[in-house]
Amino acid sequence: MTSMGPWFGSPLLALVPSVGEHVVRKVAGLSIDLDTVWATGAAVVITCALGLLVRRQLTSGVPGKLQLAWETGIQLVTRQIEGSIGPRGLAIVPLAVALFVFILIANLFEFVGIGSRYEWLGAPTGDINLPLAMAVFVILLVHMASIRERGIGGYVKHYLLQPFPKFLFPLNLFINFVEELSKPLTLALRLFGNLLSGTLMLSVIAFLGAWKLGSAPVGDVLVVPFNAIWKAFDLFIAVVQAFIFSLLTILYFDTAMSTEH
Amino acid sequence: MADTTQQAIQLAGAMVGGGLALGGGAVGAAIGDGLAGSQTIAGVARQPEAQGRLFTIMFLTVGLVEAMYFINLAFTALFIFVLYKK
Repeated sequence: MTSMGPWFGSPLLALVPSVGEHVVRKVAGLSIDLDTVWATGAAVVITCALGLLVRRQLTSGVPGKLQLAWETGIQLVTRQIEGSIGPRGLAIVPLAVALFVFILIANLFEFVGIGSRYEWLGAPTGDINLPLAMAVFVILLVHMASIRERGIGGYVKHYLLQPFPKFLFPLNLFINFVEELSKPLTLALRLFGNLLSGTLMLSVIAFLGAWKLGSAPVGDVLVVPFNAIWKAFDLFIAVVQAFIFSLLTILYFDTAMSTEH
Repeated sequence: MADTTQQAIQLAGAMVGGGLALGGGAVGAAIGDGLAGSQTIAGVARQPEAQGRLFTIMFLTVGLVEAMYFINLAFTALFIFVLYKK
């Protein structure tokens, strides 16, 4: 790769960031991304610790800050669920709150990242396996709730009878199949894509550190403000994506358990 | 010789495909965000006390719209970095 002339300094184009590389081990024929497992375990430990901590500090008097945070979150989710599904949906509140807190903490691991090839504590949602597993699990629960609410007959009839009239039922089946297939896929890919872009930008910014003008390390100095700006934006994205995942879970339960039509 | 040509064609195809995916995704996301923002501004102009609720819905819509762009970004990274490894 040729240099772009003395003004640009050293060539940057020869550096290629490694994206989506994980420490892989084969266990019983399956390959497991060990760094994702490690980061997921850390996020689970932190979430459970937060929950157990608030349980220990639980008081019916003036609540402390942690209890206030948990109560506000649970009230928001409960209000959203009661507004859409109604009181029979209250069994979903723990799932939605747990998903939000876990995904938020997992996304926040992005901030201790420096853009290296194997992060010591990377965001586990930046590996496709974790969002995909969560999305499949959530959609499985949605279908189970739908079958329980409508019965097997009602469940099958719902997919055969809309949106077109009865005699067009293969078209109905096809359209509903595509829609139901797209739900877990977009749910997973949305979360994964947002976090992958965060990881990718961090390694690209880290490569900026190789830029030198003559012998002045301009890139090293520029890395600091760029990292700060990008991580500020990534904080916003982390919160929004966690919120969207749990909100869409609630909405999918709502549409699956609705018995109008 | 033919192997280099084939590799060059694969690389070029990956780069162009990735660029198209990114470009299309960026245009779509920008237009979607702009529409959401414009409706929020119109709503706040009409009723300034609804600003908090409207902002929440706007950020929700922005998150959903940007999802398409980030899905495109993930596929671009797949095209370029999985192919460039060769």
